[in-house]
Amino acid sequence: MSTAPAVPAAPTVKENPSFELLYWIGCAAAYDRRAQRVARAVVKLLNHAKVNFAILGREEKCTGDSARRLGDEFLFQELATANIATLAHYNVKRIVAHCPHCVNALLRDYAPFGGQYEVVHHTQLLASLIKEGRLPAVPGAVAPPPGEVTYHDPCYLARVNGIHEAPREVLQTALGGGSLCEMKRNRTGTSCCGAGGGRMWMEEDPKHRVSTERAKEALDTGAKTVAVGCPFCLTMMTDGVAAHGSEARVLDVAELLVEKLGL
Amino acid sequence: MTPTRETFGNIPLSSQLAFYALAMVAMGIFCWGVWRRWKLWQLGTPIDFRGLITGNLAAVWQKIRPGARRVAVDAVAQQRVRGHGLGTVAHLSLYLGFMALLAGTTLLELDNILSHISPALKFHHGLYYVVYEFTLDVLGLFFILGTILFFVRRLSKPAALGHRATDWYVLWSFLAMGITGYQVEGLRIVWQQPVGLAAHCSPVGLWIAGWFAGWSEAEARSAHFAVWWIHAFLVFGFIASIPFTRLFHFIAGPMNLFLAQPSLGVLPVVTMAEVEQTGRVGVGDIRHFSVQELLSLDACMECGRCEEVCPAFATAKPLSPKRVVQDLKSLMETTAADLAAGRKETRALHTETIQAETLWSCTACSACVNVCPVRIDQLKFIVHLRRHLVAEGGLSGTAATALRRMQSNANPWGLPPAERANWTEGLTVKTTS
Repeated sequence: MSTAPAVPAAPTVKENPSFELLYWIGCAAAYDRRAQRVARAVVKLLNHAKVNFAILGREEKCTGDSARRLGDEFLFQELATANIATLAHYNVKRIVAHCPHCVNALLRDYAPFGGQYEVVHHTQLLASLIKEGRLPAVPGAVAPPPGEVTYHDPCYLARVNGIHEAPREVLQTALGGGSLCEMKRNRTGTSCCGAGGGRMWMEEDPKHRVSTERAKEALDTGAKTVAVGCPFCLTMMTDGVAAHGSEARVLDVAELLVEKLGL
Repeated sequence: MTPTRETFGNIPLSSQLAFYALAMVAMGIFCWGVWRRWKLWQLGTPIDFRGLITGNLAAVWQKIRPGARRVAVDAVAQQRVRGHGLGTVAHLSLYLGFMALLAGTTLLELDNILSHISPALKFHHGLYYVVYEFTLDVLGLFFILGTILFFVRRLSKPAALGHRATDWYVLWSFLAMGITGYQVEGLRIVWQQPVGLAAHCSPVGLWIAGWFAGWSEAEARSAHFAVWWIHAFLVFGFIASIPFTRLFHFIAGPMNLFLAQPSLGVLPVVTMAEVEQTGRVGVGDIRHFSVQELLSLDACMECGRCEEVCPAFATAKPLSPKRVVQDLKSLMETTAADLAAGRKETRALHTETIQAETLWSCTACSACVNVCPVRIDQLKFIVHLRRHLVAEGGLSGTAATALRRMQSNANPWGLPPAERANWTEGLTVKTTS
């Protein structure tokens, strides 16, 4: 039943050379099955809003964020230099990424190596698409009772880059104007999911996990859905919620919006 | 009569001279103490102090403006002290009282110096005097209140708050300075018998004077003289002790705010040229840190904010950002002492001072960096030290595997780069009209 689309849903820079915005996928959404759904949700929204974008496809490499923060500076520089050359080759000026670690690397880590771009997080782009009316209102939206959804601020989004209102604006639209129930530690005062600084790749004693602690704080709000804005937080919070035997869902902000829009 | 009071009223010339001599001794100890810390920081790699002040005025201002702004906003306006409950209230109160009294004493001495040039230059009288007396009289209460609140904080022992025996000396001496200051004021009112505005512009002093109701002028004068000396000794002790107690944050705090680059999300670059020159990557010895980084260790008050927000500390990992800073500070001190004693073998930074497990526990979440009132960059210290471990092959296990995979396949999962866009399969563009 599958019909081959005339236009690829996520064209590469070669397939769409006149792209205006580069969608940076990051390793998690490229390879992790759960995070792939985030990229697919973002692509649906970008296409719906008729955003002229492209992806690097096979030419994208890891930004090197965790290599750098683990202390492997030269591996980071090798990856950064390669990515900067690729981005220069395709004359990339504007980038959107759904991963705050990629956002921070592209925005701050790459600057001293000659990589300077306008970088936004997908929630910032979605918030402006909503404001411009390029994404529709949620059909038949009935605001859920307050306390249904909480939002976990990723460290590298909220604290490090000061992006904490855009995801809330998108969530508010997704919830049909409903309000979030906030965790005690939110926005720049957020608390880590446990994945940063290369900890994503390390073993952690199941009895004392950072993710379990943070998930407890999320579940203590009584929320049935934990929204996140980072693929690593997505993994960690999913594990954390499961550790408490809770059935709360953990979703990226974009996934929640796609679900409510019925895309 | 214009409201005023005589500077050094009731204090004989001999005592005045002794006062200045002791003041010089106290200042001398203070300067020696600061110089000792300054020498300690020189263990580190030099920073370009001179570069900050070269060029024309506009160029210099461009260079020092960000630092000056941090000092003005974070230190003078106390922005980064906010948001910590009792600790914040105590600090703001003590800071306000202290700064007012410091400014008041400075103005009084200025008036005294000017009076020796020409009596016409004296300004410590009239409306100025009334405002001066009233302001200091009231703000002195904030000084005492702040001290009492710090007593409460220290007695309630918050888990993250560091403690040294000298902290009690500091608080008791502050309390005694505040109380004797008011007693000197009250006793002066008793023997001077000011009337009208000149008396009522010091409401607290006037109230204290009531304690000594019925004292003769002679009794009040001799008590005033005695308490004045006690107060002076407390102040000299305070000045001399600044570089040797937690009070040193008066100096190191603003200095670090001025010199430290705000660094959320940013890490220092290591170049190949640097590695060829120094033969090392990262920090393997306390002397590899910069002068500014070592100075920042002295700005730490052990307030514990970093420890309270650390997710690793909260989950029983062997990491506290405060502990890292304090351990590095202690290593700086012992290394300097060892070198001064001619010992070649100094305590090792890695393993003997900071464990690898401590360093690997960090999630780089930057919460500690974000809350530090004096902008110590705990994460930068940790990454410097991690760089050394990685260069020495000290990272093993799953994280080392992830790094190898990033090297070979440009992703931490080690999956084929050719499969990087497989996630797009089956995605279609909905053709809506």
